[in-house]
Order: sequence, then C-alpha cells, then structure tokens
Amino acid sequence: MKLTLPPRVSPQSFDAALKAFAGVVGAGWVMSSDADRDAYADAYAPGSAERWPASAAVAPASVEEVRAIVRIANEYKVPLWPVARGKNLGYGTAAPRMAGSVVLDMGRMNRILELDPKLAYAVVEPGVGFFDLHDEVERQKAPLWLSVPGNGWGSVIGNALEHGIGYTPYGLHARNLCGIEAVLPDGDLLRTGMGAMKDNPAWHLFPMNYGPTWDLAFSQSNLGVVTKAGLWMQPAPETSLELTWDIPNEEDIGWVIDTVTPLKIAGVIDQNVFIPSWLGKIVVLGTRKDFWDKPTAMPEWRVKELLKQYQLGYWRVSIRLYGDESVNKAKAEVIKAAFKRHLSAPAMESWWRQGDPKPPLDLALGTPSAVPLQMSDWVGGRGAHLGFSPVVPATGEHVMGQLKRSRKIIADHDVDFYASFTIGGRFANNVNMLMYDRDNAAQVDNMKKLFNALISETAKAGYGEYRTHLGWMDRVMDTFDFNDHALRRFGEKVKDALDPNGIIAPGKQGIWPAAYRALQKEGAE
Amino acid sequence: MSRFLLAVALLAPTAAFAAAPGGVPELPPYQVRTAQPAGDRLQPGRDPKAVFEHSCGYCHFPGGMGTNLLTKQMMMLKRPPSDGVLTNRHDLLPDYVKAVVRNGKGAMPAQTRVDLTDAELNAVAAYLAQKPIKGKK
Repeated sequence: MKLTLPPRVSPQSFDAALKAFAGVVGAGWVMSSDADRDAYADAYAPGSAERWPASAAVAPASVEEVRAIVRIANEYKVPLWPVARGKNLGYGTAAPRMAGSVVLDMGRMNRILELDPKLAYAVVEPGVGFFDLHDEVERQKAPLWLSVPGNGWGSVIGNALEHGIGYTPYGLHARNLCGIEAVLPDGDLLRTGMGAMKDNPAWHLFPMNYGPTWDLAFSQSNLGVVTKAGLWMQPAPETSLELTWDIPNEEDIGWVIDTVTPLKIAGVIDQNVFIPSWLGKIVVLGTRKDFWDKPTAMPEWRVKELLKQYQLGYWRVSIRLYGDESVNKAKAEVIKAAFKRHLSAPAMESWWRQGDPKPPLDLALGTPSAVPLQMSDWVGGRGAHLGFSPVVPATGEHVMGQLKRSRKIIADHDVDFYASFTIGGRFANNVNMLMYDRDNAAQVDNMKKLFNALISETAKAGYGEYRTHLGWMDRVMDTFDFNDHALRRFGEKVKDALDPNGIIAPGKQGIWPAAYRALQKEGAE
Repeated sequence: MSRFLLAVALLAPTAAFAAAPGGVPELPPYQVRTAQPAGDRLQPGRDPKAVFEHSCGYCHFPGGMGTNLLTKQMMMLKRPPSDGVLTNRHDLLPDYVKAVVRNGKGAMPAQTRVDLTDAELNAVAAYLAQKPIKGKK
C-alpha cells in the first residue's frame, strides 16, 4: 500500500517523526514499507482496504517507550492509532479510522505480570493474547479459567476494551477489567482505582476509584493508551454440566428468551447464553456452494431441507452450569422444569469433571480457538464478515421485534440470514453476521447498503449498536441522538481538553478531536 | 460461536468432506503452545520450532483453523488429510511460506512484523521447507 501521510504533515516532518520513533524503539520496530502498510490494513475491509490506510506502525516494548512515542507524536502532530494485538477482525483489524495515522502496535508488550489463583485475577499487558494467557495458566496449573471470544487470537485487554463478549460467567469482558494503567495523550501516566496510591495491593481487586471511576473511560476510547490492566478470572469449577436443546421453529426464540432471562438474572444461570440460528451451524460445514449454488439468498424451502438433513432445529440453546456437582444438579432441575413448559424433548446432558480433558473448541469452557474464523471460507474467495450488533432488552417481545425487523431488511437485500442472540443478563446482544467476498464488488456494495439500512431502521425502532466497523463509527454515533447528541458533544469536550493535538485515535467510535473534526466524512460509509 | 457448530464442523460428514477420501480426521485435544523464545526477536538464529509453535500454533497445530481448512483442501486434491498439518508437508518452499505469511491467504490474514519478525519468518520458512520432496533427493 502506498504511503498516505497524516493530514497536514509534510514528508520531511513525517520522516523526522519516524526517525524519532526509531530512536525510542529501535529502527527494527518502526515499520513503514508498502508491505508493512498492507499488513496493518483491514483484512476484512468491505472493498478496498485503502479507505483506512495506516502510514506506518511503531511497536514499543515498555511503558516508558509508549510515553516517549506519545510525546514525539505531539511534537510532530502525527496521530497514533493504538492497537493491542491488532486482531479486531470484522471491526477494522489493525487499521486506523483516520487515513495516515501511525498504528501504535502494543503487541510486543506481552508480559503476564501477575497470575493470582487465590484471588482469581491476572495482571497483563495489551500484547497478551487469549492463547498466551490460557497457555500460561496451563503451564502453571493455576486453577483459573478464561472467558474467550470467537477469535482467541486477539488480545485479552484489547477485546475487553472493545466490549467483547464471551460465553462463560465472566463473559462480559469489560466488566472483568479492574485497575488500569494508561498513558495519557500528553504522555502523562495514570493508574485508576486503588492503583492511584503507590503500591496499593488492592489495585486489581476493588473496581472503583476514590472519586469518579475512569477504568471504562479508556474502553472504545481515544483518551489514552492502556499499558496494563487487572483482569478478574473465573476460579476453575469442580464440574460443569451442559444442557442442550434444539429449538424447532424461528418464532420459538420468544419463549426461549423469556425462559432463560429470569434464570440468568436470578443467578441460576451464570454464563452468557449464546443462541445461534441455523446458518451458524451450517456455515463451517463447508462452503456456501455446497449447500446453495446461486448468488441469491438461500430460500426457505432449502433451509427446511437442510435442517431436516442435518437434524437441526432453527435455534440451538446450550446452557452450561459451573460449580459443585450437587449445585449444578439442583440448578439443572430448575432449568429443565422451565424448558419443559414449552418443549417436551428432554435436554441432552453432558458432564465435565475436574481431571477430564476439556472438549476441544468448547468456548464456554474457556479454551481459546481461532476456528470460528473458518466461516470466511463459506463465501469463498477472500471471504470476510461484518457484524451488525444491536442490543435489545432481553424479553421475547423485544427480541422478536428485532428479529423480524432485521430479517426483513436482510431478505430485501437478498442476503442469507445468520443471526445469534446472546443473553447477557437484562439485555440480549443480537449479532447479524453478514458475509461477503471482498473481491466481489457488487456483493460488497450490496452489503454496505444493507448495513446502512440496518443501522437506520434499527435506530428508528429505538435500539443502538454496541460496537461497529471503522467505516460506520460515525453513522452509529449519529444514532445516539439524545439531547442533540449530548454523548458525542461530551466526548468531544473531554477529548479536546485531554488531547488538544488530537494525537490519540482520532475518530475512534465517532469522537473526533477539534484538530481533525473536519475530516470525519472521509472513510465513513 | 457455539461449541456445537465447531464440533459438528469437524466431525460431521459434509458435502465437501464426504466427497474427499479418507473421512474426516478426529478432533485432537488442545495443545499448549511453546512460550516465545527469549532473546532479540530481530536477530537471526531464532529457534525455528519454538517460533513456529508459538507464533503459528494458534491455527496450524492439529485442530486449528489453518489445519482444518488446509486438511479440507488437501483431501479435495486427493492428498492425505495429514498434509493439512504444515509440519508434515514436503512441498513447501521458503519463498512461498514467506509470501503467504506476509500477504495472507484465504482465511489467513497477513502477519505483521510484530506478529513474526523477518528473522523469525526466515527461521520458520527454512524449518517448514527443510523436508525433502518425496521421490527426490
């Protein structure tokens, strides 16, 4: 990818900034060739990755190096786009929102600083991936479990800061963060919570500040660069019991939600309950043409045939319980009785006990995997996906409304319907997976139109997204419209106060610093 | 992504797999990766096996995403399913390995020089290519 300079930065000044960065990290860790820019591009870009081009990347190895880089960036007015491991696939990978930003790749800061089995927490740097932490837990035989997302290749902290979701009792990853260290846009260094006191041993144990609490102000944020964080982990349970039901019909999702939600809120179910629709079960079985060889959306009759052939329900619900055997058995009876009111089929039951090998690829047992990314093989070519992810109240009524609305819009655009609902407590997170071949221009164009229609129609109905791709960050921020977009106005005020040069992640989540606010239409879909 | 669909993906016969010879390999247990070897990652002489396991094992151990997709491709080419594991291959050339790592291929995204330094990539490329092609010297 050819060089795109940061706005208003001359080639000479840019070179000088890179030289100064190299003075901090060493020349080998400043990456600015065409090939490097390609490697930091959005691997799943809908269309050309050159819409969100990085100019270079710099990879520090310590907090002091991060501080020095931030100071240099201010001096040369070269904006930085911090990434933890840069594996935010489906949301932009490592690519920056604003063209010409330098990726601040935190991947070399990959130390696991603490692993405390007694109080069940870890302290990690942003470069620590789910695989890294999992493998270290295994090596130390620490009685701790992770909560992992679909792509375990990414960063533990990065995923939590992006509000990623997993499928265990610790599945709301941002909630697991406790005590953050962040380099501020002027190079200053902040520790939140009890860490604001030097050497306080409760830093990663008490989740609030004395005064306002800032931890999550650094999530989906451009207010600083997180350099380490505490992470609460799940104590390894004695046993785990999985109850699974195939749910035959589409409209059954209503009673399923109304059955699961009260049990989740009451604590009978601890985990985030993931409920994928039929295509979720087919999509990694092969490629699309094995099942439907036309470019048009798979019709209902074909769906029915496939469900019959593979003996699948329209939805599948797996509820996993964690803890002592007697407690799990008692909880299972409560859950089974609740399901029996709607479904005569018994649950399939599967026990795991301490000492048993964990079934491979079971994300609800906290084993990381990148296998879900296999779905990019479904469409063929350079397969990719975007996730349209609104949040709705976890009631059958809201979920059915959301399902019907998005389903119609997706059908109107002649695209296969592939949805899931994750019940995280009082809310349900609806992910609509939109898969496309990056090199099929017509398909990409249709997908963009579909994405825009989904955002606007869902907002009209009163719901918003929890996370989105670079190209839609502004459009989604536009939907948060209370009191003339008070959230964005507040974000901009804070941004300008803390980061007058707009150096850290301009445009992240639709918050633009004054210095670059005029550029917000560029790269927006 | 549910456990179920992942298990089904690997264990159930499918249109693509059913057409391939030899059936579908069994799902192996999770394999803990080697820790990243100590030392300067920019200098030559990196331990190639350790680097491969640490930096490529996420996907290229048995049961990983890369192995699963390559296994399917190999079976469709009437090659043994075991050729889906890169360390079993006899036909990899260093430049090919480097090109795939830096440019990506299919579901595999391009790897940055933080993911794998040039020194590490050189070591891994030589390591994967060192096996002689069958039937030749």
